[in-house]
Amino acid sequence: MNRVGATSLKTVEWIGLLIVGFLFVFPFLWMASTAFKTMSEVRQFPPTLFPETWDLSNFAHAWQSGPFLTYTWNSILVAVGILVLQFLTAVPAAYAFARYKFPGRNLLFGLVLIVLMIPGQVIFLPIYVQLSGWGLVNTLWSLILPYAASAFGIFLLRQAFMQVPDEVIEAARLDDASEWKIMWTIMVPMAKPVLVTFGLFSFIYHWNDYFWPLIMTNSDEVRTLPIGISSLHMSDGGTLWNVMMAGNMILILPILVVFFVAQRHIIKAFVYQSK
Amino acid sequence: MLSMKKTGTILCALAIGLSGVLAGCGSTPKEQSAGTSSSSAPAATTTNSGPVTIDFWYALGGVRGKKIEEMVKQFNETHKDIIVKPSYQGAYQENHSKVLASVAAGNNPDVTMVEIASIAAFADAKVLEDLTPYSQGDEKKYIPGLMKNSYWKDKLYAVPFNRSTPLLYINRDMLKEAGLDPNGPKSWDELVSFSQKLSKKEGDKITRYGFSTPVDIWFYEALVFQGGGSILSEDGKELTINNEAGKAPLELWSKMVKEGLMKNPPGENYNAWDVTEQDFLNQKVGMIFTTTGSLTELNKNAKFDMGAAFLPANKNFGTPTGGANLVMLSKSTDAEKKASWEFMKWMTDTEQTVPWSIASGYMPVTTAAVDSPEMKAFYEKQPNFKVAVDQLQYGYPRPMAPGYKELQDIIQKELQRSMLGQASVDEALQAATDKGSKLLKK
Repeated sequence: MNRVGATSLKTVEWIGLLIVGFLFVFPFLWMASTAFKTMSEVRQFPPTLFPETWDLSNFAHAWQSGPFLTYTWNSILVAVGILVLQFLTAVPAAYAFARYKFPGRNLLFGLVLIVLMIPGQVIFLPIYVQLSGWGLVNTLWSLILPYAASAFGIFLLRQAFMQVPDEVIEAARLDDASEWKIMWTIMVPMAKPVLVTFGLFSFIYHWNDYFWPLIMTNSDEVRTLPIGISSLHMSDGGTLWNVMMAGNMILILPILVVFFVAQRHIIKAFVYQSK
Repeated sequence: MLSMKKTGTILCALAIGLSGVLAGCGSTPKEQSAGTSSSSAPAATTTNSGPVTIDFWYALGGVRGKKIEEMVKQFNETHKDIIVKPSYQGAYQENHSKVLASVAAGNNPDVTMVEIASIAAFADAKVLEDLTPYSQGDEKKYIPGLMKNSYWKDKLYAVPFNRSTPLLYINRDMLKEAGLDPNGPKSWDELVSFSQKLSKKEGDKITRYGFSTPVDIWFYEALVFQGGGSILSEDGKELTINNEAGKAPLELWSKMVKEGLMKNPPGENYNAWDVTEQDFLNQKVGMIFTTTGSLTELNKNAKFDMGAAFLPANKNFGTPTGGANLVMLSKSTDAEKKASWEFMKWMTDTEQTVPWSIASGYMPVTTAAVDSPEMKAFYEKQPNFKVAVDQLQYGYPRPMAPGYKELQDIIQKELQRSMLGQASVDEALQAATDKGSKLLKK
């Protein structure tokens, strides 16, 4: 192919990427712009992309409509708590699945994969009844404990651990390293990009989770941000969309921060996986 | 609700089994008292042991939720022997699932809001307490048109709380400009002829529609009633829309869409409602069907003379009501039930329903409230709000059957299929009848 052809191909590629990128960014931009509009501008037709008057009071309105500081704190406790527990359970489990041969291993791993395929809404009732029996409903524990183990995390880490060359482990064993030590000081650092990726998935999922916290909690003291924001929504017509979107901006801000911090590792994880 | 009753029973058994096994792990005091309530008489003992605490779950967010919290606070201040703990539980559907789960687990609330079409499902699953012994005739104070969804198998299970009806909203400026009666169309024929005058075309493009409505089961119910029909048979076991009264609404709407008189708003469920109201506010349509619940917001945002009117009549006027009722749960203790009734009675009494109605846009629920000087003064200033109450004389109950929540999804899907030209009116109603009767036989 000659050079002109290559450049025009490149241009087409760029345009394609820009279009797809815009498609994904647009709803996000729309949310941000709505969050700054006045209600009469939200209702205006044709709609404006950028607010004519910037109304910052929507954020104050959203924030003051409930104990948002408590919601935020609870969201952090829950998302981080789940993440820590999932690491503590997934790393040893994945290590065992990846590096040990024991009877029933395939069956057990099959069961883990099955868990991946069951949506939470299907099994919430028995779990609810169980937690209620333990007196844990309406506590932060009821939001954290059911997610203490992650099938997805075990699966993802197992694949990563399997890619670590046998020689590395053999060498460590020759140096008399304990299995525990091999796991935490050799395997985990080598799988760091995958760990970060999984951590981000888990964090975002539980940060945004609405169904479970709504079902498990009854009082503001233990509720999380998504429920606080959904309570801005009026049933039966007449929702203040600008305040709603301001609330959503508050909700996603921490995720954006986490994402930008972890971005480098995520890209690495995919490169690593594809090798 | 394919076998909610059965699942409920199994889960209750499971819950009892679990709480037995886990008794040492600390079951809540509420469960323990619930277990003993039938054998002892707690009413006498609790009066000495301080105030009764009851849980109240509600399903309205935004300023309406705030108003409910305010009302509960006022109740607690004036009732020293009862403490009500209010808690927002998401929209109707979310509250619905959560109440059922909590009943199975034995930590249910004592009072909650239930969307009126789900009352039958809850009552049939024996989740609700019969209110007759508590009300003792007191239920006569409520507007009769709002009480039709409160009974199941001749027992009183619910009192009206936040209630609405569909209304015809009209852009009076637009109607006057077209030389039409500014009070809006009175019949289906007039709805069509008004729309013909209001619709505008530029070339091939329609720039203004006369009429728009979400293709929603609620409005379909209204139009079926207006043709003298019904959605369900008397015994609630048969779908009765595959006839003239059931076909007429779809034929009217399709015809109006085809002739460019009616806009079929895009979007699933409540998105279509939003589009309809948006178009109305932006004067892209002259008349719409939507709920009284939107009256406050629309009033505030309309830049034209906005009016509300009865839904136009076919053979007769007719409208379902909507919104939610308050119910008491059967698993609470006797003392909790007594306190619950006290609370429900207070929340829906004239003195509370008047300010609630003015603040929320929902209808006042007692006849005394409608006749009260405050309400009259309010209607004087805002005559649109009166229309909904007046229309109640033509009110029909929403269909009552335990499976209606699922059934309405089936019907609505078929209505939309027909409106989008994917099925003829006959095919759609036949399909709805086939699928519906299968569901009702369960």
